Amino acid sequence: MVDLIGSVFILAGAVFLFSAGLGLLRMPDAYTRIQAGTKASTLGNMLVLIGLAFYHPNWTFQLILVVYFVLVTNPVSSHALSRAAWLIRTPMASTTMTDALIDEEERGAGEKEA
Amino acid sequence: MTTGLPVSTILLITGFCLSLIGLWGMLTQRNILRIIIGFAVIDTGLHIVMVATGYITGGTAPIIDSALSKADAARRAIDPIPSALVVTAIVIGLSVTAVMLSFAIRLYAAKKTLSIDAFTESKW
Amino acid sequence: MMRRVFALLIVVLFAVVFWRIVGGYQELQALRPLAEHYVVQGPIELGAPNIVTGILITYRGFDTLGEVAVLFMVAASVGLLLKEDSTTAESADQDRPRREAGEIVRTGTQVLLPMILTFGAYVIVNGHLSAGGGFQGGAIVASGVMLMLLARPGATLNVALLSVVESFAGVIYVFIGILGLVLAGGFLDARFLPRGQFGAFFSAGAIPLISALLGVKVGAELSVILDRFRS
Repeated sequence: MVDLIGSVFILAGAVFLFSAGLGLLRMPDAYTRIQAGTKASTLGNMLVLIGLAFYHPNWTFQLILVVYFVLVTNPVSSHALSRAAWLIRTPMASTTMTDALIDEEERGAGEKEA
Repeated sequence: MTTGLPVSTILLITGFCLSLIGLWGMLTQRNILRIIIGFAVIDTGLHIVMVATGYITGGTAPIIDSALSKADAARRAIDPIPSALVVTAIVIGLSVTAVMLSFAIRLYAAKKTLSIDAFTESKW
Repeated sequence: MMRRVFALLIVVLFAVVFWRIVGGYQELQALRPLAEHYVVQGPIELGAPNIVTGILITYRGFDTLGEVAVLFMVAASVGLLLKEDSTTAESADQDRPRREAGEIVRTGTQVLLPMILTFGAYVIVNGHLSAGGGFQGGAIVASGVMLMLLARPGATLNVALLSVVESFAGVIYVFIGILGLVLAGGFLDARFLPRGQFGAFFSAGAIPLISALLGVKVGAELSVILDRFRS
């Protein structure tokens, strides 16, 4: 019975990881691809590890440590990637409506000049 | 936990499929960085194949601790030699990737484009 | 179009070859004679619970020496290929101040960097007791260094010091090999230090020492390579 719950978690994690890969292929520009890749794959990772904890209950503490580590590093690294992509003016998809970072940059440049 | 196919067959199929995907990517892509990624994927696939050839049915890792005693080791440990060779192979793969990437940087600095269709001088 | 068909044909031919290999493969039921000798005699002769590290450092120690040489060569080639000569570097590029890293990256580094470096050191020195070893731990330390380079773009890595450290580590490794020749069975034999109690920290002859040296060497090497890629 406990094995079944663990298998369901692992299956859900696998579905999320697959959708991360699918999003990486089908998204229109770099920023949406980074977002699809990070969010879905972090969640998929965490679900697979939680499902593993059901199979081996005495590994729970180490698995929680690994989940914490993944949760801290994955978003930080994708933030660094997308910020670098924005700074070299990677083109955005044509359906983008707002660019929140440009206003902040202009404000910062205005303050420096004034 | 029983699996349908023997474990080493699953691992062999996975490794070979990864190598084929990398080979396809290396042959059809035009961007230099994607070709390098294809190379790295071929490398990884073949490492998986090499480790999988050392698997013994019902075996466990060749490290002697609470799960595997010294007396049991000869019966239940898997083959440690391919694992040791693959450690070396991973480092060599990393070195080759580093040299390829620095080549890519120099090529980009020379022609300002990352597509290999721009480098046709050596074809006759 | 023709190129795609040709590529598809090559991939299909390889797939046929691989399918024949997988079809004819019988899973091993017992260890081969050489592997059995390593698995049974390894813990007794070397005193190291981790058999794979024992193989890498003593039984196949010469391959590890070759790998150390390959790493040296790669650091030299990358340095040669990415060297900035006076015609291509513009001084205006270097005068422009480097952009500060984002706040998230800087804060994340403060949390993560001690954890990564501690984990890397643990993996290096624990090579003979559980899974780990010099190469693995050295790569972890180098990834921590890369995080530091990302978070503080203006920080300069002391490349000269790292190169000296790396060369010294390589020289001491060969020196330990020669010590093995003089004091124990042969070149790179790690049995000249006492075997110690099985599973204790200071045990297994000179294997922890060699592990630590390899880890230091690989970490310094990869950090130098990363620094060259940065500039």
